[in-house]
Amino acid sequence: MATDRRASWLKGVLDLLVLASLTEGENYGYEIAKMLAGSGLGQIRGGTLYPVLNRLEEAGLVSAEFRVTERGPGRRYYRLTEQGRRTLAEQGRLWLAFDESVRTMLASGGLATGGLK
Amino acid sequence: MSAYLDELRALLREGGVPADQVEATIADLASYVAETGGDPEEEFGPVGEFAGQLLAARAPEADATDATEWRWTADIFTDRQMLARLGDQGWEIDRVDHIGRFVSHRDPERPQRWEYRRELSIGGSALAARLAPEGWEPCGTWVYYRYFKRPKAASVGPAAQLDSPPAAPTRSVFFSRRFYLVLAVALLAVIVPAILWEPSDGDEPGFLAGMAVGGVVAIAALTAMWLWTARRRP
Repeated sequence: MATDRRASWLKGVLDLLVLASLTEGENYGYEIAKMLAGSGLGQIRGGTLYPVLNRLEEAGLVSAEFRVTERGPGRRYYRLTEQGRRTLAEQGRLWLAFDESVRTMLASGGLATGGLK
Repeated sequence: MSAYLDELRALLREGGVPADQVEATIADLASYVAETGGDPEEEFGPVGEFAGQLLAARAPEADATDATEWRWTADIFTDRQMLARLGDQGWEIDRVDHIGRFVSHRDPERPQRWEYRRELSIGGSALAARLAPEGWEPCGTWVYYRYFKRPKAASVGPAAQLDSPPAAPTRSVFFSRRFYLVLAVALLAVIVPAILWEPSDGDEPGFLAGMAVGGVVAIAALTAMWLWTARRRP
């Protein structure tokens, strides 16, 4: 149940998290997944990540460039576009406002940061 | 390159993705798998489903956003991939019409994902009864195939609801390269012998022989193609 709920939360925000992972510069699939896992979001499988990357690319929020690497078959590097940067700012603000409302509601229900009162 | 990625390459090509993009995607995914050290199926999920998600994410031919009924067709080599892809976009099959098109619709208010399976229709009502407890219901028959549908909520729960489905495709015919190849082979098998054994006055037996040879070659070629493609099907 807890896993299902977490998966649902992630589903609603994963695209923003991917955009956020590109604000410092271009990156590729495996490193993006590692970065997300490193921030405590758990392991994001390629089967979840790649459709999101494709959707972002189709929407013009990221651009992708394929480069052959010295070792291995090559990688697609993703970069945030100007439109992606704007979307991240707008949608990110909405998410933070939503997060704030959730926190307020949970706090009124007796839940404080760090556990129950 | 793994069999998984080979199959994915074929599915993406059949889905209309340009060859260079397919190769870049496959190379990228191969690198990803190499870095995780995992198994492709474990990492990306069942190949048909993953291909469907990648293709749905592309939705290049998206146009009308509010289409409710939509009729489309696909050949038997690509129908299951297309059903998976379009089911993931919220299209529910109502029936198969008399010329073999899938008659589908999507709930404009609360779209949800659908999943499909194809069975040989020889099972009749016993087949439907066997699948019913798992939530499958018949949604059409074409020649000797019978199609079943069920809401994806049956297998994935609330995640089956679609928040922002892609628009309806403008294309409604999805034929694979394999289909065109079979068609070309069949046509050639009929035309070539007809040319080689062109009838002339008083040459009726030669003409009939040509037709017979054409027919035999066509059947042999189609059988060979069928076996070849059947081996490739999961």
